[in-house]
Amino acid sequence: MAVASIKEIKQKALEELKAISDLSQLSEYRVKYLGKKGVITLALKALKDLPPEERRILGAELNELKDFLEERLDSLKRELLLAEEDRLTDFDITLPGRRPEIGTLHPLTKTIREICDIFLRLGFEIVSGPEVESDYYNFTALNIPEWHPARDMQATFYLENGALLRTHTSPIQIRTMLQRTPPIRIIAPGKVYRCDADVRHSPMFHQIEGLMVDSDVSFADLKGILTYFAKETFGERTKVRFRPSYFPFTEPSLEMDISCVICDGEGCRVCSNTGWIEILGAGMVHPEVFRAVNYDTEKWQGFAFGLGVERITMLKYGIDDIRLFYDNHLYFLDSFKTL
Amino acid sequence: MKVPISWLREFVDIKADPAEVAQILTLAGHEVEEIFDPYQNLGEIVTVKILEIFKTEDLQEVVVCKVTDGKNTFEVLTTAKEQVRPGLIVALAKPGSLTFDHEKIEVKTVKGYRSEGMFLSPFEAGVSPEKDRLLAFSDEVELGLSIYKILNISEPVLDIAITPNRGDLLSIWGIARELNLITDWELRPPVFPEDLKEGEPFSGKIEIWDSTSCFRYIGRLFKGITVKESPFEIRRRLFLVGQRPINNIVDITNYVLLELGQPLHAFDWAKIAGSHVIIRKAKRGETLLLLDGNWRTLSEEDLVIADKEKALVLAGIMGGEESGVTENTWDVFLESAWFNPKSIRLTGQRHRITTESSYRFERGVDPNGVFLAVLRATDLFVRFAEPKEISQIVDVYPQPYVPNPIELPVKKVSKVIGFDIGEERVEATLKKLGNLVREGDTFKLIPHSFRQDLRIPEDLIEELARLYGYDQIPSKMPFGELTSRAPQREFVLKDKIKEILTGLGFYEVITYSFINPEYLSKLSLAPEDRRLIPLKLSNPISSSLSVLRTSLVPGLLEVAKFNSHREVEDLKIFEIGKVFFPQSELAEEREALGLMLKGHHLEGAPWEGKRRQFDLYDLKGFIEALFSLLRLSVEIKPFSREPFLKKGLSFDLYVGETRIGYAGEIKRLILEELDLKGPILIAELDLELVSQAKSQQLEDIAIKKPPKFPSTFRDITFIISKVVTYAEIKAYIDSLEIPFLERVELFALYEGEPIPPGEKSLSLRFWYRGEERTLTDEEVEELHRRVAKELFEKFGARPR
Repeated sequence: MAVASIKEIKQKALEELKAISDLSQLSEYRVKYLGKKGVITLALKALKDLPPEERRILGAELNELKDFLEERLDSLKRELLLAEEDRLTDFDITLPGRRPEIGTLHPLTKTIREICDIFLRLGFEIVSGPEVESDYYNFTALNIPEWHPARDMQATFYLENGALLRTHTSPIQIRTMLQRTPPIRIIAPGKVYRCDADVRHSPMFHQIEGLMVDSDVSFADLKGILTYFAKETFGERTKVRFRPSYFPFTEPSLEMDISCVICDGEGCRVCSNTGWIEILGAGMVHPEVFRAVNYDTEKWQGFAFGLGVERITMLKYGIDDIRLFYDNHLYFLDSFKTL
Repeated sequence: MKVPISWLREFVDIKADPAEVAQILTLAGHEVEEIFDPYQNLGEIVTVKILEIFKTEDLQEVVVCKVTDGKNTFEVLTTAKEQVRPGLIVALAKPGSLTFDHEKIEVKTVKGYRSEGMFLSPFEAGVSPEKDRLLAFSDEVELGLSIYKILNISEPVLDIAITPNRGDLLSIWGIARELNLITDWELRPPVFPEDLKEGEPFSGKIEIWDSTSCFRYIGRLFKGITVKESPFEIRRRLFLVGQRPINNIVDITNYVLLELGQPLHAFDWAKIAGSHVIIRKAKRGETLLLLDGNWRTLSEEDLVIADKEKALVLAGIMGGEESGVTENTWDVFLESAWFNPKSIRLTGQRHRITTESSYRFERGVDPNGVFLAVLRATDLFVRFAEPKEISQIVDVYPQPYVPNPIELPVKKVSKVIGFDIGEERVEATLKKLGNLVREGDTFKLIPHSFRQDLRIPEDLIEELARLYGYDQIPSKMPFGELTSRAPQREFVLKDKIKEILTGLGFYEVITYSFINPEYLSKLSLAPEDRRLIPLKLSNPISSSLSVLRTSLVPGLLEVAKFNSHREVEDLKIFEIGKVFFPQSELAEEREALGLMLKGHHLEGAPWEGKRRQFDLYDLKGFIEALFSLLRLSVEIKPFSREPFLKKGLSFDLYVGETRIGYAGEIKRLILEELDLKGPILIAELDLELVSQAKSQQLEDIAIKKPPKFPSTFRDITFIISKVVTYAEIKAYIDSLEIPFLERVELFALYEGEPIPPGEKSLSLRFWYRGEERTLTDEEVEELHRRVAKELFEKFGARPR
């Protein structure tokens, strides 16, 4: 073997190296030059027949070429591999993916959770009570005796066994106070029933009752709690308004309006052009109610409130027909698929 | 309560426009629901010009007028043929409108001549008392405009929602007093000539036999009155509040009721036997024909006004048909009374009657107003019914009203309100509510007699807060001891289940607690099944919502039906809610979970076309996932005893010995009856039992660490009789207690060619692992051969 032939090898190898454009060429090239029977491998093997001096010089040259090529081939391989992976495939990325089925909570459950969460943050605790109630817990203990005209405000479903379906969540106030001693901070969501059915009334609907009893809980505190609730539920910009009202089991009593969520208080059909929407009733616990549960009216003061879950949900989402909640059509339910 | 501003103005000097008055009342707790104008509500009554007049042969009394409203022309028949002339502008009530005296205008055809409306007289238009001429306008007025706009007649009426505690506001005078209290606008109390009190001796007798039900009864006799139509001004005011006129006597009693809030009743004196008026409880079984035309059978609790012989009137609620005032009445006996609100309320409820009168008595009338109303009615009778002789006022008042003073400690005001509105303000406000005395640190108030709602200190505090303005009281956050309890287990469980199921792709539904009992009968339940004995509503909204549900299945099927009728055949839904059963008191309420899979579901992406019908393995898989996440081991026992499920495709769920629910596919016959497409898979679980089971099973979590030594597996594929269930095979393998066996996986199940009928091929993969060393191939082979042998021997299986 001669120097000239090594030069030839080198020249050819470098030329062919430049021509490599894909991995298979690279692999062929590697076999051709660096494989067991590759040109360079064979040339190196052939060195042993040369005189030592020549062997040393040519050997060095060949090894240098071999190292150079190996290094180049390695880096070229990485480049080609990377380039290969960036090549476009026949995947149509715009096709819909394999999406796992995702369900959703009923919108009323969502509202109940959101509201309960607000009050849980304020240290209230969730309690519940029976839906089939006695006249005593639903009315009498709440200062609504049999002859009271306020019974007209709540058209009652009676059962043939003499019990009734609770018309509000307020009996839970009584049941809780009978079981516990103050301080009390409870929130009680649940189903309630009234004989009414049209676009705005459902014979079954949901309320959330709140009750706080402590030594100094005042009307101003009630306003504070309710204002906090309204802003948390409807947004920081929401304005609130308090109007005197009447409930037999609270005194003083109030109703809270919020600035219309549809028109921002400008006046629209939803708020009957008043700019305000009534969302709940509340008041200071009536002394007769405290008497019914044997609380010392000199020692304890408290407030209670009750709000309609459907009404708040309808306002939040601009729903105009309460029956949608109980039809449970999949399209309707699907619109609430969100965290 | 409808309050015309013009009427209200008679009693209080209103210094604001109607919208402002509405706002003031609303913010004081008397929500004004609407401001309306009764004239506008009459409909289209517009100016039209007469273009031509036709006389016809076959219509003697009327002429046909061709008129225009500026845009269109109409033909109108009129009998006022003397008054009409071409060019005259008159008032046309178009079809669909109403006249002032409640006549509905419709298109009429007389002998082939159409009349598209009616020309109105000033009376019919409600403009003035004149009846015998047409309302006509000058030539300059615009055509087609509302005549009320042209005449500048506007009568704003407030419709106010009065809360049940404020009976004193159920009158024009009451609202006037309230406005004065809120705004200090000057009050103009009704005044009457002194001589109205005087009269001739009363020729009859009045006796209260039950003074616990009737506190006060005033009677006055008017002899020789004339029963006729009421004067225009009274009719107009009744019109403004939507009441129909009857005759002058009845109208005057209604008028006084509206104006002063005191119900009155007028009797035909000739019908009161023995001239003896008795206020007594009814006799049991006594009957009475009321003004609504119905006979009522009375109870001993009902209060009546009677004569010597029989009951005449259901006291305070409704007059009797026989004793009322008619055109033939000569002498009128006027009643003004104060009845016990409870008695009126209970009687009204018993007979299901509410009237303007009972509504007010129930809410408490002013004991002193009883007398005032007699004077007002006398005043009006004298002016509009021309009595020949008036008796003295006979006032039977066994125990005159003595109001209880209310004691209000000064400090209590700011303690309840949470803000100090100032003692001066407190005192000044209380003074307006009655007679006020201050004793040391306590106010003593005797409220005005009409304020029957003020009884306890809290009532006064509400008045103070209300009149100060709820919005003026600053808000704050409460201050108190921290208290907390762990959330109730049932709530946590319910919430977790909801999270899991929505995560698994289920939609939550909420259905009515009441169902149609027919659904239960369709489930072919055994006669003794307690689900067939639901609690019944005594006053359901409809028969389809008449019993409390004993199962969630009917509600879920109803959802399936509703969706199926509206393009949705595929469903994956659940509900958590109560089911109800009778028990000695109230009801046994049990929280239940219902799951439903219906139709098809998609596997993979939609374009891959892998739509598959739901089957029992889907439902079972979801139930397994649910209980695995709840870390509750349930046993699945084929088959369920529920008669509405396909037996071979059903199972019951047990925790220990307790059956907590069932699952399966609903029978096709039942679906056909309900007009539903299947398949429908359903499961129902008793959450109370799940919760109990959960509290009994420990929540030990076995921690697994990454393996130190490699595992190895061996497969067995064998043919076995179809009769052998997977559960049996699995249980047998477990019973062998094979050393080093980590788990067994069924990775293939095949039936059909070339496997002989009645047999199936199963492929099991056994995973072996040593915990302290790597197992050798030889020992695994040895172990596995033994396992295969045992299996084949036990079940008569053979390798495939």
